[in-house]
Amino acid sequence: MSAQAISVALPRPSIPPTLLGGTWSFARREFRDAMSSRWFVLYTVAFTVLAVGVSFLSLSGSGSHGFAGFGRTAAGLLNLIMLVVPLMALTAGAGAIAGERERGTLMYLLAQPVSRSQILIGKYVGLAVALTCSLCAGFGVSAGVLAWRAGGVGVRSFVVLVGLTILLALAMLSVGVLISVLSRRSSVAVGISLFVWLALVFLSDLGLMAGSLIFKLRVQEIFALAALNPLQSFKMGVIVSMNASLDVLGPVGAYASHVLGDAMPWVLAGSILVWVTLPLTAAMVIFARRKSI
Amino acid sequence: MRGALVSLVLVLATAAMGQQSVSIIHDRIERAQPGDSLSIAAGVYQGNLEIRKPVSLEAQGLVVIDGMGKGTIIDVLAERVTVRGFRIRGSGDSVTGEDAGIRVLAGGAIIEGNTIEDVLFGIDLRESPGSVVRGNTVSGKDLEAGRRGDGIRLWWSHDTMVQGNVVRNSRDMVFWYSENLRIEQNRVTGSRYGLHFMYSHDTVLRENELEGNSVGIYLMYSNSIRLEGNRMRNNRGPSGYGIGLKDCDDIAIVGNALLANRVGVYIDNSPSAMDSTGLFEGNMIAFNEVGVLATPNTHDNVFTANAFVENEEPVATHGRGELHLNQWARDGVGNYWSQYAGFDLDGDGIGDVDYEPQSLFGQMLASEPNLRLFMHSPAQQAIEFTARALPELRPRPVLADPAPLARPPAIEVAMSGARGSGKWMALASLGLLVPSALIVALLGRDRAFAPASTGGGL
Repeated sequence: MSAQAISVALPRPSIPPTLLGGTWSFARREFRDAMSSRWFVLYTVAFTVLAVGVSFLSLSGSGSHGFAGFGRTAAGLLNLIMLVVPLMALTAGAGAIAGERERGTLMYLLAQPVSRSQILIGKYVGLAVALTCSLCAGFGVSAGVLAWRAGGVGVRSFVVLVGLTILLALAMLSVGVLISVLSRRSSVAVGISLFVWLALVFLSDLGLMAGSLIFKLRVQEIFALAALNPLQSFKMGVIVSMNASLDVLGPVGAYASHVLGDAMPWVLAGSILVWVTLPLTAAMVIFARRKSI
Repeated sequence: MRGALVSLVLVLATAAMGQQSVSIIHDRIERAQPGDSLSIAAGVYQGNLEIRKPVSLEAQGLVVIDGMGKGTIIDVLAERVTVRGFRIRGSGDSVTGEDAGIRVLAGGAIIEGNTIEDVLFGIDLRESPGSVVRGNTVSGKDLEAGRRGDGIRLWWSHDTMVQGNVVRNSRDMVFWYSENLRIEQNRVTGSRYGLHFMYSHDTVLRENELEGNSVGIYLMYSNSIRLEGNRMRNNRGPSGYGIGLKDCDDIAIVGNALLANRVGVYIDNSPSAMDSTGLFEGNMIAFNEVGVLATPNTHDNVFTANAFVENEEPVATHGRGELHLNQWARDGVGNYWSQYAGFDLDGDGIGDVDYEPQSLFGQMLASEPNLRLFMHSPAQQAIEFTARALPELRPRPVLADPAPLARPPAIEVAMSGARGSGKWMALASLGLLVPSALIVALLGRDRAFAPASTGGGL
């Protein structure tokens, strides 16, 4: 028999049970689960409404003068993004494994002919796509408002803002998934992720402020410590894209601009990227090594 | 593109016309009578030109004077000389020699419509009172900021008009010991100080545009100066100010626009003399990191009918201190503050509650500038919230405006290219919405998790 005849004779599965196919099935399932989750929809709607609201508010002062463009909106959006997006991504990631574990469905997943890391990657990809879509919806509507009211000033900064926000969401999702892998119950995972959120958004900044006052930290030390926090890196990256320099952020920013120069956006994006890869790798290693469920 | 075309034309023209020495022009000046007008034929003239007779040189077509990178290109040594319409390029770069495009050492000169490029100093007037510098374009050599010369410099040249010049990539347009000048409609970009006054009094600066410099207009030790309708935008850097005032008395700053600078107005010990005042009236101070930054000893400035719109900090002091020795309203007219949270119940356009900005984070910044790194973050909001919740932490207000305006005063600000077309932003909006909708539609379709053929569905 020729090879062609064999391939005709055998039934062909619509998704081949390859490495990629298995992962992709899990990703799709996770995506659909996220889309039908009430929390996720609520976050998306809240983010969209707030983003549009901030765009409107920041334009109401400047619209009459007509020279603000996007810069001011971005400053308003920054605070909103730094509060909402990590919360959204951390809690979404926190439910990924711990929820299945608690409901007992994790056993069935592990019984599928796919490896443990494939399950984890599949879940991560599915959630990542869902988060990206959700953010794009919010930003898309907000961009529509800006195009209508303010014209096209600062499109480049806007695109950078969207890109960095997605990167930040992916980083926070990684952390959430790591927490989820380590937690027995989903309530514990969500609790821990809320604490991590609090730590990244408020405690680390306030602690660094106090530290820089008490220990009289030098500017390079303050910058290095701040850039460890993905939220600070995100903020600095957005400001660099708007101003091409960080002098807005005082002596520390001026120092960083002077030393890093054109490499600055890449250093900051790299810092966030580390937060994407490290927790996810750790989660994979821990999840794959677990003998029990 | 246009620059490339111009250089191409220049190269072709040079090749066609050949090159000649400036001695041709020297000879014609030798033969001319004082007061004659000499029209110079198109071509490239190489060398350094000295004008020792009161004549008027008019370029016919494209006339290039090329200094070949040595010394000052045109030296004006006689009174009442006119240099009009030349393209002047390639001075030396000696800082001690102060090599310039055009150096004028006598009064009554008219320097008009020249394009000066690749020079250390552009137009250098020394003891040349009663001159006119109009419609010239100066771009400096490609040097680091500390090595550059001034685009236009006046030294002891009273009663001079400087109008409609464009200066790029230079140090300053600077005025030393020169009084009663008219500085109008000049545009300075990418330089250190746009307009820089040193010990120069009694002058009006009108409708100049200063963008992307370190400082827009810096007045130092200069008195009785009026700034009217100037536009300062995007002047940034570690000491980026829209307007800087250092030991200046009787300054009037009226109807200017200060937009998106690091600091809108920086006031350092001005006014300094007794019985002198500073007036800030009807200015648009918007989108700066700090609207007005003043040293704590600042006093006797009057702020009225200004619009403070969306500045990160409207008013701050350099170090600790307050600005209560200044007047924040005149004759019952205060300023418009976009952060004002008060109300205007009687509808007379004046807020019924004083405007007293209190910012704990702002106060912390004044003593610890490094903390500015945490600007625009939720932690900053947390600190402000704490200060609102705990009155004992609340700082003393840096100023009090007894008559804040309920609506922004009508201030006309004409900025070029501020709006742009919404096309790209609309495209970005669609580019975000359409793919995400598609993905949701495709992946979110209700289909069995695992294909039926594998038989392993959940």
